[in-house]
Amino acid sequence: MSCLATNDWICGEYLRTRSQELTDATLQHVGITVVSVLIGLVVAVPLALIARARPRFAGPVLGLTTVLYTVPSLAMFSLLLPLFGLSAALVVTGLVMYSLTILVRNTLAGLQAVPAEAREAARGMGYGPARLLWEVELPLALPALMAGIRMATVSTIALTTVGSIVGRGGLGNLIEDALPSFFKAQVLTASVLCVLLAVVADLLLLGLQRLLTPWTRIRVAGGAG
Amino acid sequence: MSRISRIAGAVVGALALTAGLAACGGDSLEKQGGGSAGAGGAGDGKKGSLVVGAAAFTESKVLAELYAQVLGDAGYRTSVTTVKNRELYEPSLEKGEIDVVPEYAATIAEFLNAKVNGPKAPEEKPVASSDPAATVAALKKLAEPLGLKVLPAGEAVDQNAFAVTREFAEKNKLKTLSDLGAAKIKVKIAAGDECSVRPFCAPGLKKTYGIDVAGVDPKGVGTPQAKQAVKDGVDQLVLTTTTDATIDSFGLVFLEDDKKLQNADNVLPVVNAKDAGAPEIAAALDKLTKALTTADLAELNRKVDAERAKPRDVAEEYLRSKGLIKK
Repeated sequence: MSCLATNDWICGEYLRTRSQELTDATLQHVGITVVSVLIGLVVAVPLALIARARPRFAGPVLGLTTVLYTVPSLAMFSLLLPLFGLSAALVVTGLVMYSLTILVRNTLAGLQAVPAEAREAARGMGYGPARLLWEVELPLALPALMAGIRMATVSTIALTTVGSIVGRGGLGNLIEDALPSFFKAQVLTASVLCVLLAVVADLLLLGLQRLLTPWTRIRVAGGAG
Repeated sequence: MSRISRIAGAVVGALALTAGLAACGGDSLEKQGGGSAGAGGAGDGKKGSLVVGAAAFTESKVLAELYAQVLGDAGYRTSVTTVKNRELYEPSLEKGEIDVVPEYAATIAEFLNAKVNGPKAPEEKPVASSDPAATVAALKKLAEPLGLKVLPAGEAVDQNAFAVTREFAEKNKLKTLSDLGAAKIKVKIAAGDECSVRPFCAPGLKKTYGIDVAGVDPKGVGTPQAKQAVKDGVDQLVLTTTTDATIDSFGLVFLEDDKKLQNADNVLPVVNAKDAGAPEIAAALDKLTKALTTADLAELNRKVDAERAKPRDVAEEYLRSKGLIKK
């Protein structure tokens, strides 16, 4: 009797016969996550800049993005359904809203932590606001910003599974499929892939962060030497 | 080159890279179109594309694959989208995001009844009955103003059914629920706890068949535990559905609902009238509806749930064996 029929947790035949489904689901999962975090970032950075430039907006911006985060994910996708219909855009929109809390807070914290002296010095050297932001403030805010991106990415990978209620949940589709008949091999495989995705994404982003902030290591090396 | 501008370059490069990745991801999303892309996509798509909707349970997914593949054979490009439940996919069917859905006559009729006439309508003024023809007629009346076209129902039916052990049936000479009523045996029913109030369950069994119901054992509808309880003799009667293919493995047999207590939940396609109202679509689906029996459906469900075959594969195998697809 095959391990599929006996419903084993670990089943080689499952991996063999479902490799296409697993690949498709993983690609969908990665696609939805990447698009969501990128759009989240594109929305979050200007919001953080506004909140910093106009402190009276800071409260409402942070408050609103936090309130969005408290909407239960099942309800969020159902509420967005009439606006977007059954599309990946529905899931992406929901995930972008969730990512904002983390991304806006971290970006803002990073920008606020830029030492006033660094800013003054740049201004003294004749840097305009755009160049100041791009060449001084953003690089110095990068560690906090990257920490936010890493958290948002891992949380988005987990939340993407909820998209399965409209058939766009990546690996979540497979988990949702398997639960009613308790298809153990599928539940376990899809869950493990989900965790692996999160770990790999986090490591890749950590690598990117190190690549983008070489001075943080140079300083340590210099201190030691 | 200053360190700052190198960093800026790295940031730009990284952004370009991730944007590129995102574009790839976006592409694959488009191609997959959500759930499983139907094998029915075998069709050359000359007549346009159709999205077949499925609810998130085995039988619905199998039916959706059957539909997608016969439509693929008829020359349509098809894909299957799985949506959690009727509440979520029915509005999409009206809008045309989904074009074809496998449905159950009585259940969808009462769903639309509640939607059109208010949430209390199914209880106060039910439109579904045990008569398939009358139920489908009532369904058509509700569906047409919503832009939905109801195609003819077939013989295959997934409705509530009661089963006993083979020995119990033989010993008491039971074939129908009327026999059980006439035999005057006290029975305990393994079912969901709502059985004690639902008209199709305990109250109906008492009133329509005169069955002496000693109680309801809340083990769920058609769960392995419920069937095991009847097999072990803890309970005598189990509530499950007509397409349950595992009752045999528990040594159980169905008792016929000879006085038609259950609503006519015959399988039928419901389509978006604008996108999928073509007579060719109706004809292709009708061939399948006519061929499909309750036993076929039970066997297809069993292959998916017990043998863990893929819905797409069991659907294809079935359609080939019945000569319903050529390619």
